[in-house]
Order: sequence, then structure tokens, then C-alpha cells
Amino acid sequence: MDHSMANRPAFALPTADKAIDQGVTRPWLPAALVTLGTLSSLFGISWDVQWHIDVGPDTFFTLPHLVLYAGSAIAGLTSLAVVLMTTARQRAGRLIDPLVGGRHVRVLGGAFAAPVGYLVSGTGAAMFLLTGLWDMWWHTLYGFDATLSSPPHVSLFLSITVTMAGSVIVYGAAREQRWGRIGMIIAMPVMVAFSMITLAPVKDLPGVVNPQTIGSAFLSLMLLITAAACLRRPGGALAIGLVLAAMQGVLWVYSPWAAHVYAGFVGLPLRDYVEPVPAFPSKLPMFLVLAAASVELVLWRARSRRWPMRWAPLAAGALGGAVVAVCAPLQDLVMTGHGGFDMPPLVATTIGSAAFGVLAGFLGWRFGTMMRGTTATPNTAASTTRPLIEGI
Amino acid sequence: MRRFARSRNLTAAALVALAFGGFTASPALAHAPVTPTTPPGTTYAPVNIVHTERVQAGPYGVTIGFSVWPVHAMQSMDFSFIPDGGIQGKSGQLHVDGPNMPADERVQPLARHPRKRGVWGLDTTALPSPGQWRFGFVIDGPQGRGEGSLATPFTALQQPGPPLALSWSITTIPLLFLVGFIAVAWRRMRPGSAMEPLTA
Repeated sequence: MDHSMANRPAFALPTADKAIDQGVTRPWLPAALVTLGTLSSLFGISWDVQWHIDVGPDTFFTLPHLVLYAGSAIAGLTSLAVVLMTTARQRAGRLIDPLVGGRHVRVLGGAFAAPVGYLVSGTGAAMFLLTGLWDMWWHTLYGFDATLSSPPHVSLFLSITVTMAGSVIVYGAAREQRWGRIGMIIAMPVMVAFSMITLAPVKDLPGVVNPQTIGSAFLSLMLLITAAACLRRPGGALAIGLVLAAMQGVLWVYSPWAAHVYAGFVGLPLRDYVEPVPAFPSKLPMFLVLAAASVELVLWRARSRRWPMRWAPLAAGALGGAVVAVCAPLQDLVMTGHGGFDMPPLVATTIGSAAFGVLAGFLGWRFGTMMRGTTATPNTAASTTRPLIEGI
Repeated sequence: MRRFARSRNLTAAALVALAFGGFTASPALAHAPVTPTTPPGTTYAPVNIVHTERVQAGPYGVTIGFSVWPVHAMQSMDFSFIPDGGIQGKSGQLHVDGPNMPADERVQPLARHPRKRGVWGLDTTALPSPGQWRFGFVIDGPQGRGEGSLATPFTALQQPGPPLALSWSITTIPLLFLVGFIAVAWRRMRPGSAMEPLTA
């Protein structure tokens, strides 16, 4: 049975000799709006976490919450608009450009035609708003707890992560465009940064290894390699590492500043003991740029030596994972001025991170390949005997 | 001068909002209780005390105030720690002992309650698990150092609401959507068949 993409009737593929009228004259605009939404979510959560730690009191209607919720609202409404425009084009019998969010799929039995990237980002936003209602109910039962890892909070974070995945797919579909590549090296670091907050529930797991470091290595390497596999251009992973470092720097300054300014605005004092290190930005892997450079190094060797890609991404993931683990105590040292390299847990965590890095490489390369498939032309997708995706 | 500082704070807060959220005219903001004209006392819940316990820490007597009684696990509440004669000239540590208390939170400095600055306290704090809990104090003051803890631990009852297993199952719905989406795409695209070497 042939499962190749050309045989999927749900997809309408354009041909090269036909002009495509998507109705979206500036395809970068909805992509940028969704990214604006995800950035708002990232900055909102960092502000909110810092608010709880440095100031404390909480209600549902605070500015950090507003920024957090506005992010999903912007991303969700933009995604909905694109889906409705695509549906209208399909009903008018026009071809649909897969560069706008990737190829479209039928939703609700064909009632809607949704570009796959915007379908994912919009679904994440819708789940976020539903989960927000659950969170409100939860607070009526449990009070305004400031715990990050309550079930509705984790569900909110996962919903935002789904929206961010949609944003990345949108740029993956437009990777041949300059704006698509620029968008990818912004959207992917946003997702890497935000994914760290979903690791909050694992921090107290017992064992000799540091589960948060291993989780951080796995998620960041998987996303880095996904982007590298999608872009297939030298420097892609390194650019993402550098942008993430810049984002970490901005959040480092912004989060306490915003929390303290807002506290002054509503007339609340700071707590007696305020940590000098901002809470959320300090959880991001500070030396991920070194792991990204390791990935680049392996991919460069793979490119020059024609290494088979069945195992080269796995090697890149293992090396990058080990770099993340080795640098984690260094990050503690830089941030707090104390800490050290306690060898047994460091060795165990490094081995664990490298092992999960292998899995990250396996999955990441395939995810990136799948993202390239969202804009595959009939020629490249017609036969399962040919490579599914051509390299650049 | 004070007016100027207030105005500067307002400007900065407006900049924060405009930078990362003020671009939406959300009806939620219209109903937000946080406005420049609303005093903080009416914005956030007062720190009530509905139950007290006494601790003798050396020469210092301390009243522990609970904003909710009985206490339930995972339910956030306010704890007030009120030394006889006030907190002026005193400092010290709070020791919290109970099931599944994170190691890095078992000992912490006694800090003023953010919504009741005249006493020490913990705001919107939830005890993680049901069981027997005990507060202890190490206080340095004009009469030297004193230590003591609750003679009888208090009990945190089971968490309210649905079973946690059910709540965590609901939590995974967005994750299941993402995994399901990837599984369908994987099955259709078979990315493992496109492992050709990279080209220079």
C-alpha cells in the first residue's frame, strides 16, 4: 500500500505552471502575527513567574495574565482568519498555496480547509482558552496558588506549546522564502525557551540524575535538530542557539523590571528576600549555543563526508545532549557564584542526556523532514522509491 | 516629588503593557480591579485569621495564624507568624516539616507577609501533601536566640476536588493532540524513507 503524500486526496497541490491565488497577498503577515502571539505568551509567562516570586499577590486579572492570554488570543484569531480564507478559496475552486502554512487538510468532514500549520496553532489556542476556564474553576477550589505545576497550569503550557509548534510548521512551509527562514530562527527559539517551563513537574523526581537537565537537553536538541532538518542550510542550528541566547538576555532584564514596575504601579511592595537571578530566564540552557555548535559540527562533517543521515543526527543529538549536561553546573556557577561539579551525578546526568540526545536526534530529523513534506511538489512525492525530500 | 514618582511608575507600567500586551483592547482589562485609583487593600484579599496556634521559641512567644481551617493539602492559604511584641528588632528562620515538602523550602528566612507587612508570614502557600505538619522557629532578638516548634503537629486533610489522576489525565489532552497529529503525519509521510546524505 502506497502511503506517499501524492495519494492523499485531502491535499491540493499546486503545479508550477499555474498561478496560485491564495488571497493572502502578504503570506508573512499572518505568520508574523502568530509569532507575535507566541512572543507575548513567552514574555507574559516570564513576567508572571517573576511577579509571583518577587511580589506575590495574585488575582486572575493581572497584567502578566493579560499578556499571557493576549498571546493565545492573537495567535488563535489569526489562525482562524487564515483557515476561513483558505476555506473560501477552496469553495471558489481556486488553488491553494502550500507556502501559506503548508498544505491544507480537510477539517470536520470537509467543512473547512485548513493549512496544517495554522490548524495546529489555532487548535493550541482554542485548547488554551478552554483550559483557562478550567484554571479559573481550579482557583475557586484551591485558591490562588502560585504553583507552576498544577494540572491546569501544565495543560495551559502544553496548549501554548501546541500553538508554537504550529508557528514553526508555518515557517517550515515557507523555508524557501527569506521571511520563512528568518521566522524559523525566531519561532524555534521561542518554542525552545517556552518548553523549559513544561519541565517544572519533573524537577522533584527522585534519583541520582538531574531530570530537569536531561529534559532540557532532550527538548532543546530535538527542536534544534528539527529546525536543522527542515532548513538544511549550514548555520541554521547555530543561528537558533544565538537567537535563544539573545532572548534569554532580554528576558533576564525584562522580567524583574516589568514585575517591579508593575508592583510600583499597583502600590505593592517587593518581598523581603528577592533573588538577584530572574526565575524563568535562569531555567533556559545558557550554553545551548555550544550544543548548537556541536550539532553544526556533526552536520558539517556529515555533509562533507556524505555520512548517512540514519545515524548522523543521532550523533549530533548525543554530542549536543552531553554538552548541555556538562554546562549545567557551569550555569549554576555563573548565576549564583557557588555550586560545583559533583562528579557521580554529573556523569550520570551526562550519560542520560546523551542517551536522550540520541532519541532527540532520531525524532528531530524526522520531524524536520516531515515539515519539508508540507510543501512537497507532486514530482518529489510521487514515488516512494525516490527520496521523499530533496536536500538543498 | 512623590507625585512625580507615581507618574513615572504609571508611565513605565504603560510602556510595559504597550510593549507586550497593551495592543489588545481586552474587555478583561476593563473589569480588572487593578487601576491607579483602586487602593491595594481592596485589590487583593485581606489576610484573615480564622484559627491560631501558639509556639514558644525560647523567650519569644509566637502566634501562628491560619487563614483557612481545617487545612487541606494543595489548597493555598495565608499563614501569619506574629511574635509577641511585634517583629521590630527580630529576625530568624522558619522551619517547615511535613510530607513531601521540597528540601529547598524546609528552612527559609522569616519574611514579612507581602499583604500584611506588620507580621511575618507565608502568602498563597499550599502544603503539598496531606499528613502531619509542624512549624518551627529560630528567632534572634533583644533577648537573644530562641528556638521552638509546635508541640503538636497540625493535620492537613486530603486535597479538595476531583482525584489527581483524573486531573492529570485531562492535563495531557493538548499533548495527546500533538502526539496524535504527529503520528498521523508520520504514517502518511514516512520520514524514515528520506535519509539520503546531505549535499554540500
